[in-house]
Amino acid sequence: MTQKELFTIAESWFQQQQWKSFPFQKQSWKAFLQGKNGLLNAPTGSGKTYSLWVPIVLNYIKDNPDYQTKHKKGLKAIWITPLRALSQEIKQATERFAEDLNTQLTIGIRTGDTSQKERAAQKRSMPDLLITTPESLQLLLASKRYDKTFKDCTAIIIDEWHELLGTKRGVQIELALSRLKTVSSKLRIWGISATIGNLEQAREVLLGHQSDALQNSVLIKANIKKKIKVKSIIPKEMETFPWRGHLGIHLLDEVVPIIKRSKTTLLFTNTRSQCEIWFQKILQKYPEFAGEMAMHHGSINKETRLWVEQAIRNESLKAVVCTSSLDLGVDFAPVETIIQIGGPKGVARFLQRAGRSGHQPGKTSVIYFLPTHAIELIEASALQQAVKHNTVEDRIPYLNSYDVLIQYLTTLAVSDGFYPKEIYHEIKSTFCYQAISEDDWRWILNFITIGSQSLQSYDEYKKVEILQDGLFKVNNRGIAMRHRLQIGTIVSDAVLTVKYLKGGYIGSIEEWFISKLKPGDVFTFAGRNLELVRIKEMKVLVRKSSKKTSKVPSWMGGRLTLTSQMSELLRKELYKASSKTDEKKSLELKALSHIFQKQQEESIVPGSDEFLIETFKTREGYHAIFYPFEGRFVHEALGSLLAYRISLLFPISFSLAFNDYGFELLSDQEIDMQQVIDNNLFATDHMHNDLQKSLNATEMARRKFRDIAVISGMVFTGYPDKMLKSKHLQSSSQLLFNVFRDFESKNLLYQQSFIETFEHQLEEGRLQKALERIENQSIVWKSCKKATPFSFPIITDRLREKLSSEKLEDRIKKMVALLSKK
Amino acid sequence: MKFQTIQIQNQTFLLHPTGAMFWKEKNILLIADLHLGKISHFRKHGSAVPQEAILKNFERLDAVLETFTPSKVCFLGDLFHSFINNEWILFSEWVSRTKVELLLIVGNHDIISPLKYEEIGIKLGLELILDNFLLSHHPEEREGLFNFCGHIHPGVLLEGLGKQRLRLPCFYQKENQLILPAFGEFTGNHILESTKKVKIYAITKKEVILIN
Repeated sequence: MTQKELFTIAESWFQQQQWKSFPFQKQSWKAFLQGKNGLLNAPTGSGKTYSLWVPIVLNYIKDNPDYQTKHKKGLKAIWITPLRALSQEIKQATERFAEDLNTQLTIGIRTGDTSQKERAAQKRSMPDLLITTPESLQLLLASKRYDKTFKDCTAIIIDEWHELLGTKRGVQIELALSRLKTVSSKLRIWGISATIGNLEQAREVLLGHQSDALQNSVLIKANIKKKIKVKSIIPKEMETFPWRGHLGIHLLDEVVPIIKRSKTTLLFTNTRSQCEIWFQKILQKYPEFAGEMAMHHGSINKETRLWVEQAIRNESLKAVVCTSSLDLGVDFAPVETIIQIGGPKGVARFLQRAGRSGHQPGKTSVIYFLPTHAIELIEASALQQAVKHNTVEDRIPYLNSYDVLIQYLTTLAVSDGFYPKEIYHEIKSTFCYQAISEDDWRWILNFITIGSQSLQSYDEYKKVEILQDGLFKVNNRGIAMRHRLQIGTIVSDAVLTVKYLKGGYIGSIEEWFISKLKPGDVFTFAGRNLELVRIKEMKVLVRKSSKKTSKVPSWMGGRLTLTSQMSELLRKELYKASSKTDEKKSLELKALSHIFQKQQEESIVPGSDEFLIETFKTREGYHAIFYPFEGRFVHEALGSLLAYRISLLFPISFSLAFNDYGFELLSDQEIDMQQVIDNNLFATDHMHNDLQKSLNATEMARRKFRDIAVISGMVFTGYPDKMLKSKHLQSSSQLLFNVFRDFESKNLLYQQSFIETFEHQLEEGRLQKALERIENQSIVWKSCKKATPFSFPIITDRLREKLSSEKLEDRIKKMVALLSKK
Repeated sequence: MKFQTIQIQNQTFLLHPTGAMFWKEKNILLIADLHLGKISHFRKHGSAVPQEAILKNFERLDAVLETFTPSKVCFLGDLFHSFINNEWILFSEWVSRTKVELLLIVGNHDIISPLKYEEIGIKLGLELILDNFLLSHHPEEREGLFNFCGHIHPGVLLEGLGKQRLRLPCFYQKENQLILPAFGEFTGNHILESTKKVKIYAITKKEVILIN
């Protein structure tokens, strides 16, 4: 069949659905049928699934003209989705086309939710299209004779690639693709991405650094412009609006009329705990919403989530309080309004959420921004600018993630084994490992085979063995099983399932939260108040409680930071605030005038040529606040750097706090700020070296090491409900970090935790630029009598780093002296 | 290294920064929760914990024995972390080098056969009563006896001005009980509450410091 005939098949199907194909869809069909790889830049709800599923089917028809009568078995295409929740949606869409064309093509899903029985059946006979997640794809590579499974695969589609890029799951995909390129000779690789700043780079990461696949590829842009309107919810009485906080509940009454006015409203919160609280509070104050309102977040069980999604489509819900769990995929036509609670911290995320409403073509998407504290209104103002100028940030891909590589090599060793020569060549062609040296490679091979760099006589390390012909293989069944269980657990805390005493699964919850509760304590989960009865074998058994007061789990993670683009917009907005005239000031800034006035009374609102430092004393100690307005990541680096440099001048201990506007150095002794200024501690000289040393001093790397230890299989976490009898294998990554620090600081995984702390998230040179900017500003040091409005959100932050140049024994003695005074 | 000297029922005890405790009148050294073999156990199961840490345990043992020259060492349980592995060989070598009498109060981790211990000349017991003192692995409360024990791996959380916090292993002394910190490398600690009724001695690499 010619391309024209094939296109006619697809076009006439589109006509039957009373759709019209978009140019970008046809471009994708054409490129795919020409055998090209590519990246498709198209937003959710634009028909992106059919841009790539159609040509996969057409290609099959072309190669199998009697497709309606004879069915050729075997896997033909893989569809990767970052969220399991989306797989059902994709299945329905793809099935519809395959069935209408009488192709006999089968579509199957394989995720963490798929039953053991179904997996086994799939293993015997793969569906034609397999919809799966990055982790489940890795698991397939961990099964015997996987090369047979993938041999005739013609296409792999990575959906929502922008969500995976910049994460270690993205690195997992890079590695899986490097293998599939070899075992599936007819493979085309396609990614689908929403708009991000570095689309070209996204294509390179997907297809491989300087690879043939990249040479033979296209970048197709849908160019669907959406009209987006941003409205800030500005409190009527600014005077009583809090200076800090992150919930935003005080604006609840302003939200209700918006919900009432629109058909369906999605309220996006930044964390799951915030989601729970908002849901509860709305129902408490406006019980009339009962039955018309629901909640959706990642810890709620699958059935409930699916029910909520269906209810949105049926228009039976007035409002849904959700988290990023509803960011992706799922097309909800009835959604008219979006409310974003608290700063979304990134333009791309904000735009994506805005795009969840007004799906009808040509319709304007409306998104309300609800600030949780006063200063966040500046962010709202900056977001307005971002939307206006279409500023979108980059997603920074990982480089040299040794932990993921170790996991991947073990995966290959668990299935059929691997020959290093062959695999080295493959991984070297990925973006992530393009610069890996032969020394590092040898180090990693030693690490997985002898657990260190030199063989010692009494050692019994066992993981990957080297067989006589040089094949690297895992033969120990226990190790293979533990590894398989571990693959899915990229970056998550030990998770326990929450169940009613009488049975009935409610959801899953992080262990560290539950560990703080005693039996009898009441906590809020999935919108219900539950009493903890007991914990048994990774299960949290609960019963309903009628108590009003309860603890709300504050899930970890979700600490987002402003991207450099957002920070710049934010700075510009702020500098506008410092100007005397009201000209050019946005509604938000005007609403803040009373806060700015307060700030001015105590300190200043800095202009573009000023760098503000505030010092004051409270009961807690001596505070020094610095305001670079560069976003959290830069502040973490800058704060540590400065604390380290000050600590060289005299013995001192700091507690450091950071937010998107600035950072705080808190100490029990007064910092001689004049000395800091005189010594020019913001200089760019030796920046890199000092930063390294400050990292050692603050132990910030400790937190990064946790994920690294889990991913590389050093710490075994297991799976809920499948906890192995491995009590003697339990240890914390903290302990492990300590032994590496004391005994093996050259270990690449240990080193990686330091590199990841600053370098990954910190775009090249961003810190340098910040320091250079500060060097050209005049430093304004204000010694204040009390905390200023700007400082409030920082000094009340509880998540802190520490750095000390005092002797441990001296610090203890000071603390003891303090105790005896109490 | 500086240690603390304390008196309990007219007996003298020296608290050492390693977590060991020396009973002066009886010339006995008490050591809790060494967890030998833990690192090898991890390595055997595919977790590459640095091997150098294994030797550190023996270096520290030698150092405290040299400091106090006791006639007897009593391990308060969890001497060996899990099943037998090659660290047992290192341990047996250490035992044969060490001329003092060795006694193990069996802890929950001590699952190696008693015969193995007897083979290398270590005596085993479930508990030991010496004068008015009860030596055990788990904390015990018994009428008329003062209890020395381990198991808990006690730690203390200290807070200072400027939101400073420190977490340190410690000796934890109640009215009729003293819990020793874990001696072994690669063991964590469990934070205990400090109340008016307890005495806490935090340990650093160099000193033992009375907290309250």
